[in-house]
Amino acid sequence: MKYVSLLLSIAVLVIAPFFGEIAVNIQQIFNPASSSSMLFWEIRFPRVIVAFCSGAILALAGLVFQSVFRNPLTTPFTLGVASGATLGTALAIVFFGGILFWQYALSFFGALLTVAVLFLLSRSLKSAQTSSLLLVGIALSFFYSAALMVLYYLSDFEQSYSIVRFTMGSLNIVGFDTAYPIIIVSLLFLASIHLLRKPLRLLLTSLDFAFLKGVHVTRLVMSLLLLTSLAVALCVSVVGPIGFVGLIVPHIIKLLYRRSSDMLILPTFFYGGIFLVACDLVARNLGAASDIPIGVVTSFLGGPFFIYLILHRHKGSR
Amino acid sequence: MLHVADLTCQILKNVSFTLREGENLTILGNNGSGKTTLARALCHLLPSQNIFLEGKNMGEIASHLRSQAINYIPTTLDIYDEYLSVSDYLELNQFESADSRKREEILEVLEIEHLKDSPCQSLSSGESSLLLIAGAMLHRAQYTILDEPTANLDQAKKVKIYRLLKSGSYFQNTIIITHDLNLAYKLGYDVLYLEEGSARFFGSCGDFFDPSRLEGCFGNAVQNIGGNFVVNYDEIR
Repeated sequence: MKYVSLLLSIAVLVIAPFFGEIAVNIQQIFNPASSSSMLFWEIRFPRVIVAFCSGAILALAGLVFQSVFRNPLTTPFTLGVASGATLGTALAIVFFGGILFWQYALSFFGALLTVAVLFLLSRSLKSAQTSSLLLVGIALSFFYSAALMVLYYLSDFEQSYSIVRFTMGSLNIVGFDTAYPIIIVSLLFLASIHLLRKPLRLLLTSLDFAFLKGVHVTRLVMSLLLLTSLAVALCVSVVGPIGFVGLIVPHIIKLLYRRSSDMLILPTFFYGGIFLVACDLVARNLGAASDIPIGVVTSFLGGPFFIYLILHRHKGSR
Repeated sequence: MLHVADLTCQILKNVSFTLREGENLTILGNNGSGKTTLARALCHLLPSQNIFLEGKNMGEIASHLRSQAINYIPTTLDIYDEYLSVSDYLELNQFESADSRKREEILEVLEIEHLKDSPCQSLSSGESSLLLIAGAMLHRAQYTILDEPTANLDQAKKVKIYRLLKSGSYFQNTIIITHDLNLAYKLGYDVLYLEEGSARFFGSCGDFFDPSRLEGCFGNAVQNIGGNFVVNYDEIR
């Protein structure tokens, strides 16, 4: 099963850049003068890379949040961290004319503000009450969408359009310049979570247990949340809020591998990437006129799965 | 040396006692009298400034040194990850080396080697208690606090744990919280009796099990029949 899915994933990864609205002539891709080469190296290839890195970040972020908050439904999206980043980016679009630096900066700020609120609340709530924390996350998300409505109201037609397209999630990348930050951040994120896997594993038992084994729990939780939120914020500011990846992928990987979550860091990262590449492949090839927004595809797949998960939550974890 | 100086936190009121190297302690008391709260304060899960280890304030000891000095074993096993197995859990209790022979030896001593690969969440409450004790034996802190270790065990297992504690070969200093007066009596550790958060008695086991004191603490609920303490279901008040 594992080998089959691994082979299938590599196949998806390899064929993904060749399919799209306009066919790529395989013989021409190494000929710099041809339009096929241009299409392949400047558009399709970076797009697949960005899709892979974003999916990987979002999935691993989901795994980390689920482990830290000890709840299968917590992800940066269900807790409002991604909505904070989205609002930040939308603010940058309206007030700073979409300058990349401000998009990143405000997105970071939105995500960090949200995570700070959640962290302070999680300390005053008892550890068993993660469901209250989820409710707080949902309340924050509503607050952010209301603020987003105000932004629509304030912005002109062109700005509104770019905010709408942005919130749908988009992998329309041209060239490698926008791809570099997300490649670097995804690899750094993977490496840092991998380095923290031993204390993370202690956290997977209970917070008290980790404390008694000498882990500085507050410091560990804070650094995990900080790293994750920064990675997610960058991801959101580049490709928009692509929902459900962080929720579905860790659960599928857990069902597939049946190992404790600290062993699933690399598989979650890899299959998260593959999942988004596959969704993007669908999005690019279903629509007749133009691409279906990627967020629509992941949400169509993720929505029903989310409901399934809520209905079956009591079986797996108590 | 573990020294508690006038500890007042949550329900606890002015609790003081000292445990010297090589001494063990039994904590007794009714439900809600503060036994677990005291245990959590001792290992700094509840931060306080009143616990001293070898004269040093517990709050100022580096966390990895503290974890080697004191360990607390709760009554129930709390594990979030549904796929964490028994041997994974035991490995997490080993500090220096992940020596699998040591793990297997302890599983064998507790007769739970058949559970080695089971997920921790699938264990029964008795098996969970044994796993908790196994973890404590691997951790082997200077002071190990066991919170009702025998409450969920069958009779034969209770005897096994008693012998294990008595042998002294797997734990250094033990602090045991229990409702089992027979166990407390047979272990012969010093006794701390808590009542509504205050230490009503702290002294030797022999002094505590004096008939008049026993009646003062438990009324008619306990009867001494031939050196065994039996719950008296007929005569309560």
